[in-house]
Amino acid sequence: MTPEPTVLLEAVRRVYHSGEADEVRALDGVSLTIDPGEYLSVEGPSGSGKTTLLNLVGLLDVPTEGRILWQGQPVERMGERDRTRLRRTGIGFIFQRFYLLPTLTALENVALPLLARGVAARERDTRARALLGQVGLAGREQSFPHQLSGGEEQRVAIARALANGPRLLLADEPTGELDSTRAAQVLDLLEAAHRETGAAVVVVTHNPIVAARARRHLVMRDGRVVSDTAGG
Amino acid sequence: MNASRWLVHWRNLRHRTAQTVLAVAAIAVAVALPVVLLSVGGGVYTHELASVQDAGFSISVDAAADHGIAGAHALVHEIDGLAGVAAASPILSVAVEIFPENGSGVPALVEGIIPSAFTATQSSAERSLLPASLTLGDPDDTIHYANGTYDGPSSDQVLLSTPLLQTLNITPGSSVLVSPTANRSAGISVTVVGGFGLPPGLLGPSPLFVALLPLSQLQSLVGLGRSPGGSLLDDADSIQVAVLPSLAGNPAAVARVASAVQALVPYYSVTSLTQQTSEIRAAQAVITGFYVGLSSVGLLVSLLFLVIILMRRVEQERTSIGIQRAIGVPGWRVSRDLVLEAEALTLSGGVAGIAGGVLVISALARWGSPTVSEIASLAVYEPVTLLALLAGLLLMGLLASLLPVRRALRLPLPEVLR
Repeated sequence: MTPEPTVLLEAVRRVYHSGEADEVRALDGVSLTIDPGEYLSVEGPSGSGKTTLLNLVGLLDVPTEGRILWQGQPVERMGERDRTRLRRTGIGFIFQRFYLLPTLTALENVALPLLARGVAARERDTRARALLGQVGLAGREQSFPHQLSGGEEQRVAIARALANGPRLLLADEPTGELDSTRAAQVLDLLEAAHRETGAAVVVVTHNPIVAARARRHLVMRDGRVVSDTAGG
Repeated sequence: MNASRWLVHWRNLRHRTAQTVLAVAAIAVAVALPVVLLSVGGGVYTHELASVQDAGFSISVDAAADHGIAGAHALVHEIDGLAGVAAASPILSVAVEIFPENGSGVPALVEGIIPSAFTATQSSAERSLLPASLTLGDPDDTIHYANGTYDGPSSDQVLLSTPLLQTLNITPGSSVLVSPTANRSAGISVTVVGGFGLPPGLLGPSPLFVALLPLSQLQSLVGLGRSPGGSLLDDADSIQVAVLPSLAGNPAAVARVASAVQALVPYYSVTSLTQQTSEIRAAQAVITGFYVGLSSVGLLVSLLFLVIILMRRVEQERTSIGIQRAIGVPGWRVSRDLVLEAEALTLSGGVAGIAGGVLVISALARWGSPTVSEIASLAVYEPVTLLALLAGLLLMGLLASLLPVRRALRLPLPEVLR
């Protein structure tokens, strides 16, 4: 029996300022299946629709037309509360600019998704410490984001993304703000997380080195998927 | 909510120090105003009420015209005969000039009294300021009055207030002249038989020097005993009526006695102190309402200021809010955090405002002018009022966070996280 896709997009369109003079077709009829355990890169020039695709797959946005199924559940008509619940339980986000909360320590940032799920304080603390250890930041638990290097911040962000055992990891230019050495460390961590958790990974990138780590490669242009190839 | 979450809220507030300080300061100023107004205003009224409630008499008979109660000695006897009446004391107040044997005169307010009745209608606090035996040589003022003939021998005794004794630089046993005019030749010579203290007034000790003379002697001196034509006047300004101690605490019984007095003198104004108490309470309610209204304006302005601060905070922290929403922090938790921060600001401002108000009142009591200092020292801090103020602030924090919460929950995540 074929496993249910983690995410399925059917003829998804996303139009901004629809019907107005400055209408933008960010996605134009994209159909896509992301299966469990896949490692997928999304490439393309600026404005090709990569981030819009990531927002829709990550349930941060809803399509103007088309269907999105999250593990078989249609989400395009779901309310914000239900989509928040699905994000909380199934999706981990890694952003180019890390987006750690500045007033929380590294430990508290990692524990935040667990707090959102109502995990007890002691267990939250134990799991967050373990995740920080996994990403090589044992001993930096009480550091605030401004006390960490860019590479360390991104590792905290990865630990945070893994906190809830997500089925899908979404990374938007995860190495965009890092030098090559730190970028390689972050990609190693991402790959290890993919291997160990079995979560599907979608990486949006301009960087061929980053894309090369993926097993499947999507190329987008003008809101359409123009190439979908396996390999790497 | 565990301790670490409070710590995070504290860090969030500290993260925007200037905004936090400004918001707390605005609320503190708005809170200090009602604290000062309500505490001082309440204190003044409490003092007024205590003065009325502690008076030795319960009913006052007054006439509209100057010295308008005629036949005072006879009327007092009639009132004394009413059921429930313990004593009735006529008072005649006249401005006179008091001259020492050598030296210039001093203006003073002299009160003509019937000593025994006067003592019986004073509060215990007032009695403690008077000599143990206040007779003025004729305790019931009957000898000189002599059934309205004013032909009896006068006692020629006077009691002066301590400040007046000091001003005249005399001691008991000395003689002074009491004159209805600035001319000492129009005066009568009386012997000073003692001194008495003055009760503190609302705005400090009475600015007038006071003396006590037998009623009939003062009436004779100022021409209010008998008219030049010989007809009996026997005038007084008011009659204070004390009810029996067993009735004094019963407003209905006091009202019944007042009605009986009113029936006796339908042409005079008869008021019970219960009525006066009610009137003071009504006045207090009106002025308190005014203070609350005035304070509400300040609190409303600080509420709007807080809304602006919180809206600005949401705008500045849109990424932090967006990332929380993206990783699945429920909307209610984001809302709760904003409400808690608003409440922390309002409560901090409230506590600072209460402390500031108390400090202002203390400073006024210590360093203000005598009048301001006296009023400030009467301030009463009602725990119920302060708690109500804090409860109002909690409500204000909740109201102030409504718009920011709405804004935070409607942040477009794709745009915020771009």
